[in-house]
Formats: sequence, C-alpha cells, structure tokens
Amino acid sequence: MAVSSRRAGGVVGSVRLLRSLQHQDGRLFSTSVARHTAGSEGQPPKFVPPSKPVIIDKAKSQASLRQFLSPEFIPPRQRTNPVKFAMERKDMIQRRKILNIPEFYVGSVLEVTMLDPHAASKTNRFVGICIQRSGKGLGATFTLRNIVDGQGVEICYELYSPRMKHIEVLKLEKRLDDNLFYLRDALPEYSTFDFDMKPVHLSPTQDVPVNQIKVRMKPRPWSKRWERPKFNVQGIRFDQCLTPEQMEHAQKWAEPWRQYDMLKEYDTSSVEEKILQEVQAELNK
Amino acid sequence: NSSDILLTVILLSLLLDGSCYCIFMCESRKSSIPAVQCVRTIKTSTWWDEHLTEDNPWPRHEWDEKSRRVGLVAVKLGMMPVWTKSGERHVVTMLQVQDCHVIKHIPKEEYNGRTAALIIGAKNSPPFYRTEESLEMFRNAGVPPKQKVTTFHVTDNAVIKPGTPLYAAHFRPGQYVDVTAKTIGKGFQGVMKRWGFSGQPASHGQTKTHRRPGSLGPGGDPAKVFKGKKMPGKMGNVFDTAFGLKVWRVNTKANILYINGSVPGHRNCLVKVRDTILPHRLEKNRNPPFPTFFADGDEELPEDLYDENMFQFGEPIPG
Repeated sequence: MAVSSRRAGGVVGSVRLLRSLQHQDGRLFSTSVARHTAGSEGQPPKFVPPSKPVIIDKAKSQASLRQFLSPEFIPPRQRTNPVKFAMERKDMIQRRKILNIPEFYVGSVLEVTMLDPHAASKTNRFVGICIQRSGKGLGATFTLRNIVDGQGVEICYELYSPRMKHIEVLKLEKRLDDNLFYLRDALPEYSTFDFDMKPVHLSPTQDVPVNQIKVRMKPRPWSKRWERPKFNVQGIRFDQCLTPEQMEHAQKWAEPWRQYDMLKEYDTSSVEEKILQEVQAELNK
Repeated sequence: NSSDILLTVILLSLLLDGSCYCIFMCESRKSSIPAVQCVRTIKTSTWWDEHLTEDNPWPRHEWDEKSRRVGLVAVKLGMMPVWTKSGERHVVTMLQVQDCHVIKHIPKEEYNGRTAALIIGAKNSPPFYRTEESLEMFRNAGVPPKQKVTTFHVTDNAVIKPGTPLYAAHFRPGQYVDVTAKTIGKGFQGVMKRWGFSGQPASHGQTKTHRRPGSLGPGGDPAKVFKGKKMPGKMGNVFDTAFGLKVWRVNTKANILYINGSVPGHRNCLVKVRDTILPHRLEKNRNPPFPTFFADGDEELPEDLYDENMFQFGEPIPG
C-alpha cells in the first residue's frame, strides 16, 4: 500500500528523516516534522494539515491474512435470476460499511448490542455461543445461547436488522458440527458464558482453531435422538451416555446411499472466489 | 458449377426515429444455412420530439382524479426483507421490468365503446414459432417480438404512442398497486387443500373417511347438487390478482420494483402491475408520472427511490 501522497510543499526534505525513523519491525511512521511550510518572512508559517498516519506492517503480508466470506453471501442453488442476488449483495455491502460484522463461526462466543426503544438505556446487550447460522442474503440470522440465572436462553438475531448496534467476537473458534442444538440436552456448564467475559485475541493470520471438545449429556430422553446418523453429531461423548447396542440400533436409520447422491453436491468454490473478490473490492472502496 | 452461396438481397430499412433493420437473405443450393437473419439497432428510445410538436396525434395531458393510466408487465425475481425506520420487518417481492413497450392503441369505439385500450408487450423473445399476424403487430410498432402481450384499460387522456418503452419509474414509492399473474399449478387436488374444508377426525371410529367433502347439500327438497359446489379438481394455474400492495422502493438503473408482501406466480414468471382500484388507497396514488415516465425527458431521477418510512442501508447507526 502506498504512503499518502506527497505534497509539493516542503515535504521533499523529510524523506530522509522518514527513512531514519523506520522501526525495526518494518513499521513506517509518518512524522509531523515537515508540516509547516516556510512562509514568507514576517508572516507566521502557513499551517499544512498532517498527512494521515499509515502503518505498514511488513511482518504480515496481505496474502497470509485469513480470507473469509460470510456464508449468507453464497447464493443458494435455485432457478433465480442472478440480478436478484446482485441487488441484495449491494445492500448487504452498504450495511457492512456502516456496521462492522466480524468473522465468526458456529461455536464462537459473541457479544451483541441491539437498540431497544423500551429499555432504560435504549440498548440491549447479550453474550452467548453461536449455535446456528442460517438464512441467505439480507435475512441471514444467527442464534446465540447462554444460561442466565439457571435458565437457558436462545436469541435469534438478524445480521442486517437496523436495530443491530454492535457485534463483537469474544472468542473466535469452530466446533466439530455445523449446528450445536445438542447443547440444549448437554450439561449446563457447556452453555454458560460470563456476560463480562474478556475478548480472547486471535491473530488475523492464524487459522481459526477447531475446538475438539465432546460434551457430556444430561440423561435421556433428549429433545432429538442425537445418536441417529441423520444429525451426524461429532461433538457428543456417546460412550458415556449410550451402550454399544443402542449405538448399533441407531445405525438402522443410516442412509448409506446418500453419499452417492450427485444432486446433493453443490460445489461453491468458484462462486465463492468471485463473490469474495467482489465484496472485498467494494468494502475497500 | 460450384454451389456458391449467393448473397442476393441486403435490405436496410431506416425508420423515422433512426432505428434500422438489416435483413440479410442468403440462398444456398446445397448447404442449409438459415435463410433470414435480422439485426436491429435502436437509435432513440422515445418519440420525445413527436410529443413536443403542436398538433401531434399523441398529446400529453395532465393527471386528474378520473384518469386511468397504463400499467406494466414485469418479471418476478424473488423476495427479500425490508425494515421500516422504527425497526419493523416486512417482506417485499422484487419485480423487474424487462423491455416493456407499448405495442398498439385501440381507440374507445373499436374496443368496447367506453374505454380505450393499450396493448403492452414485455420481455423480448425469439421471432421463431410465431404467426405472421403477431410478427406484423410487433413490426408495425417497431419493437422486437415479445413473450407476453396484454391489454390495459386506459382513459383517453393517458394514451401513449405505440413503440414507447415503459420503465419501472412509472411507479413511485409510497403508491399502491395491484398485481395479476398466473398462480402456481398444483394439479388435481382434494377438497381440503383446494377449498379449505376441515375433513373428518383421524380416529374415533372413522371408516375410510378422513379428507372427504362429507355432505353435498340439503336433502330431498332440491333433490340435486347446486351448481358451483366446491369439489376436488385442478387447482392453480389460473390468473389471480393481489390488491393494494405498497411500492417500497424503485431502482431506476436495473428497473426493479420492490412491492410489499407476496405476489401470485412462480419465480421468473411475468406479472401484470397496475395502479390499484381499491377506493381507500386512491389518495396515495395522486399525481403519478402521467401518462408514463419518459427516460429522455427533463426529470433526473437518482438510482434508488425509497419510501419515506423505509430504512436505507446507508444510514448511520443512531446513538
């Protein structure tokens, strides 16, 4: 990225000064040394506003930053005119320029502040673990779960609602499954998160860590039969709650032919690349 | 000796407005090449100069209470959510106006003696598998052949010259419209789905009767089943109108209308949109662009027109 444009004024002489001020990390600081141009004698020097500070972190190159495209940008495989998705994407990008929607996955802990006209402080803050991300386009939603005063609470937020004020990721991580509905039948310790939790920092170049945790469940019956292959749950300790005979009995509902179903394959890699480039170009404008 | 392809005739017809047709005709003895190829360019899109002349046959009038203007034919793209400034969520259907042109004007005397009619066409389609009469109609108007051709009832002061293109800016945000389209066909359906009958209980002794219509009417006095009795049959694939739908947003660049609620028809079907006839919504439809919105007129419209209550995504977060 280029340093801010040089003015013809009195900035030329400051190039050597800038070079000598380079940090050992390779970060370049712009200085305010050459701000005041030499005015004519007797008159005070004309004020030239300082150039914006530009930090170039040579330690992290552009290529090593994590590339992430939010799943609601990927259009579903339908017989819809692509014009419709293009219009929706424009609106989504416009909203993202105002409100920063960070990268997060199912299993990350988020803190969300919403505008609430009926609350005393006019805002509404909630912290929880994301158990589901669903919806495409502007109607995309995510559900946060937490246990407040012994009561499990799940709130479904719309990402692009005008009532969203602030979204922050307190802990960015992935889990073994796409949705964590089984936390409703797991022990409460796995869904409790402190409201005043401090954010855990993750470097933008590192890969998102996958939490390999397998949760322990409350005694059966559960809200859904999580052992059945249609849910394909990897994150439960079945050996502690089910006998091998019960696990085998659950395999009767297996549908082994589904892996060969070609109509279910939807390769989004090429679509994702194109949309990712488009979104990044628009956001950087 | 050799069977050469003879390029016999190249006709270049230049119409008054500057649009031209090029027709190439090739005759070949042995090879089978399509005989006729048509290439068409449009220089000007509206006959704006015609509207400005003193004694022209298509004068522009002012809108008044009793006047009825033409509608549009649009393509249903899909649905998406929309929020008001107070945070309420509504859903809208996106309708895109693709190549809508006025094709013909039928005066009051020829049509039904009471109102004049304008024939509108939408969405260009290939000129094959069409009768000569329909192709002639499009040729007279100077437009390419259209997929859907419909009629709109129109008062005499809202008549438009055939060949004029119609755009989405014909409708403005805040006004109400009626949308007509063919509903999705459901095939042969039973009486519970088709007419909303409640059927019979699932258990407690019912013998083979759970979704049947039950009684067909009173007994011995009429001793017949009345005409129009609701019975199973083919459901859907008929024209249906949704009344009183609000226009939330108009995109003038891509010609898309954002209309409240749902609209009959499947995705990518052609729908007819016109100003609403509901009496309580007429006050919202005052002073529309009359007789239509002309693209090469004086009005400079921004890319997006929003309703005053609608939340725009570029607005900053309050507080």
